[in-house]
This record gives sequence, C-alpha cells and structure tokens, in this order.
Amino acid sequence: MSKAAPLSDRSRRALLLAPALIFLAVFFVMPLLDNSARSFLTEEGGLTFARYTAFLTDRFYLGVIAETVILSAAVTVISVLIAYPVAYVLVRKAGRLSGLIIFLLIAPLLTSIIMRTFGWQVLFARRGLVNQWLVTDLGLLDAPLRLLNTPGLAIAALVHVLVPFAVLSIASVLQGIDRRLEEGALMLGASRFRTFWEVTLPLTMDGIGTGAILVFMIANGSFVTLVLLGGGFQTLPLLIYQQFNTTRDFALASTMSTILLVIALACLWLQLRLVRRQGV
Amino acid sequence: MRLTDLLLWAFTVAFFTFMILPIVVVVVISFTEAGYAAFPIPGWSLKWFARIFEYEPFMDSLQVSLLLAVTATVASCLLGIPAALYLSRARSGWATAITTFLLSPLSMPMIVIGFASLFFLSWLGFGLSFTALCIVHTVICLPYVIRTVTAVYRSVPPAYEEAALILGASRITTFREVTLPLIRPGIAAGCLFSFLTSFDNLPVSYFFGSAQTNTLPVVMLAYMEHQFDPSIAALSTLQLGMAVIALLVADRLYGIEKMTVAT
Repeated sequence: MSKAAPLSDRSRRALLLAPALIFLAVFFVMPLLDNSARSFLTEEGGLTFARYTAFLTDRFYLGVIAETVILSAAVTVISVLIAYPVAYVLVRKAGRLSGLIIFLLIAPLLTSIIMRTFGWQVLFARRGLVNQWLVTDLGLLDAPLRLLNTPGLAIAALVHVLVPFAVLSIASVLQGIDRRLEEGALMLGASRFRTFWEVTLPLTMDGIGTGAILVFMIANGSFVTLVLLGGGFQTLPLLIYQQFNTTRDFALASTMSTILLVIALACLWLQLRLVRRQGV
Repeated sequence: MRLTDLLLWAFTVAFFTFMILPIVVVVVISFTEAGYAAFPIPGWSLKWFARIFEYEPFMDSLQVSLLLAVTATVASCLLGIPAALYLSRARSGWATAITTFLLSPLSMPMIVIGFASLFFLSWLGFGLSFTALCIVHTVICLPYVIRTVTAVYRSVPPAYEEAALILGASRITTFREVTLPLIRPGIAAGCLFSFLTSFDNLPVSYFFGSAQTNTLPVVMLAYMEHQFDPSIAALSTLQLGMAVIALLVADRLYGIEKMTVAT
C-alpha cells in the first residue's frame, strides 16, 4: 500500500509470501540439494569427488555431455530459423488471420507428448503415409525408407514440441518494434532487404535470445520423445532414465542429474541477464 | 516484394502442415474401424472409444490423473495467489529475486525434479504415495499460477483498492469485492495451465509409478511399449478435446489475449 504504512503492516503483508516460499524451499530446493549431496558422498558417508573425476575423464561420459549439448543446440538453431519467418508473418502479414495462427500455435501445446509421438510413428512407419507417398504415389523411391528410429526424425519431433515457444518469444519482441525506425531506413534509401538485415533483425535479437534459451533449456531435459522415437542418441536425461530403470546405479544417476542441473542453472542465469537488459 | 510475401506465406502454410499433421492423423485414427493403427483408415467407428472404457487400467489411472490435477491446481492456487498478490505490488530488488525463485521450477529439467523428489520424499516417509505425487505436481504447477496472477494483477491500478479502503471497506471485503474479480482472468488462466500441465505430465509422474499412483500418461506409455493399437489414439483425442474445450471456455470468459500475455 502507501509508503507511510508502518513496518509491522508491511511485514504482515510479507507473510503472504511465506506459504509458497516454504513449500518450494522444502519440496523443490531440498530434494535437489539432497540429490546433489548424494553424488558427493561415499557409501560410508565420507566426502568424495571420485564420481565427478571419473565421469569427467571418461570418454564415453564426456561424449554424452557433448551429445546432450549439441542435440539441444541443433534443435534450438533449427527452431529459431523456422520460427522467425512464422513470427514475422504472424505480426506483420497475418492481419485478421493472426487469431487463427495463434490458435494453430497453441493447439499443439495442448496435446500430449504421447499423442504426437503416436502420430509420428504412424506417419513414418515402414508402410506409413510418408513412405506411401514416396514410393507409390510419387514413385520417387523403389523401396520404403527406414524413417523411424533415425536421428533426423527424433530431431524433427523435438522441434515440433519446442518451436511454438520460439515463435511466441520472437513475435512478442517483433510486435514491440517501433515501425518508424524501419520507415526511416527505407526513406533514406535502404533496400527492403537491407532494412530487414540492419534494422529489424538486430532489434529482434533479444526475442531470438529469449526464445533460444527457452528452447535449449527444455530440449536439454527432454527424454520422452527420445525414448519413444529412438534415434540412437545418448544424452544425460536418457542415461538417467536408463540408470533408474535398468542399471539402478543411483549414485551415478545423481551425478548425472547434478551435471544436468548445472547446465540448466547456467541457462537460467543467461536468461535473467537477457531479461534484465530488456528491462532497461 | 510480392515474391517475398508469397514465399513467406508458403513457408507458413508448410510450417502449420508440419505442426498439425501428426495431430490430425491421431484424431482420425481414433475413429478407425480397423484393428491396427494406420492412416488412411478403412472405415469409421467408435469402437476404440468404447475400448478405453472397458480397459480398467485406463479408467483407474484416469481417475488418479483427474484427482491429482485438481489437487495440485487447488494447492497451487492456495500457495500461489497470496504470493502473487504480494509480489505484483513489491518493487524492490529482492522481490524480483523471489519471483525468479518461485518461477524457477519451470526452468529445471523435469527428470531431475522427479528423480530427486522420489528419494527425498521417500526419506520423509511419503514413498510412492498419492500424497507424494500431489506434492511434486504442486511444485511444477505453482509457477504457472504465480506467473499468470502476477501478470494480471500488475496491470490493475492500486487506485481501485485504495478507493474501496478509503470508502470504509475492510481489507477482506476489498479483497473479495474488488481484487478478486479483477484478478479472476489470471486465476483462470493459471488454473488452466496448471491443470493441463499436471494432467499431461510424464517425466515426473514416471518416477512415482505404482499400482495406486499410476497416472494416465504413465499407463499410456507402458501400454504403447507392448501394443500399438488405436486405443492410445482415442485416449489422446479425448484428452485434446478436453483441453480445447477448456481453452475455448476460458477464451469466451476472459479473452485469449489476456491469457497469453502471461505466457
């Protein structure tokens, strides 16, 4: 309320925060700390860094970390490249169709991962629709392709899940651009392409950044798509899933989830810096 | 210029074909008369919807999922709305920090939250119970309520509430008669996102699977590993129908723009 409110009143209002803060401290922070702590403890309860030194010097595991980051980065780059033109059409060209476009963007967000995966499996099965087009209808190929369980399909499925987030991030920044800056460039004789390249694109960099971090962050932790569609990837979330399911080496799974958590925290930090810059 | 426009539109149409095609295929397959999942379908029937209701694990887990989504959403509102009310009016640096913290479960990998919570909650004695599942789902749903309510309440000028207070209304009356109606769109949007997030969640629920706590997505995943028949399509279609109806109702009541502002 007003600035003159007595301190007791202000601290009473701060009590509104208490339930949410305490709940998350106990049921969100504590489990994560506990999990990381277990990766540093020996079975007798002593402190050890052995799991990390073993993990970070092992070629296989280093490869897993690299693959996790590279796969997420690839999904992010593809999503942003696809999202930009769509966001541009949504904000600048769609006019009365923009409502429909927003609906089409949000509708897939309402579908479960299982539903989409099921759709991909049907479309790309050996006798699925895509192979039927390629072989029978268009006659491009002699024999059906093996499309399921390929890296390309898994990446496409991840992009399918994440690209709407990139479109929405870019569109919201594009919406806020002062059109006079572009008009000024055009009036001063810049071509439309040059205006886009030197005025519009730099002005939307923040939207691209926010969208990219968001996509990267979600891609980094996703595993259901990869479990169901295969593709032969070995990423941290997949390995955690396997450790939990079959190998049941929980200390190793704790180590891997701590590493995954560190990557996520780094993304969160980047995101906050970007948001703060936008706020200025 | 015309050509660029044409290319842009062609790209957009291709993009939405890519986005919508896998979903349409599943919806169509759920009405197939065939005993297998393939597209195009040989004929139409509702038998796979009937099959859902006959298969007990689906029905049992559906009940678990619905109860869980409602519980987590109610808990998120009880914890989240007061916090959002405070944070929307606070301007200090630490309020921003606290908002960031309260929203941070959205940024953490779900699989890590699920894995870590399983061990921690077992240690607290909750184990593989429905209570444990409710706690973890509230962790991942709470940020949605806080985010949408904060976004809506920030755009409400404090003058309305001040006027009510000056005119002699008590704090509780002011909240009930002024604040609550004004933030209702935010609460509705938060509940919608929270419910859908919980109902659809697989990466966290997966770790808490047991006979009493298997949620619908967990059962569907297990089913898919052994069988590939159209009942999964029928279930997905029902789920999508439910989500679309919820979205349309929320849009009718409050307008979709108001809700997406917050996302």
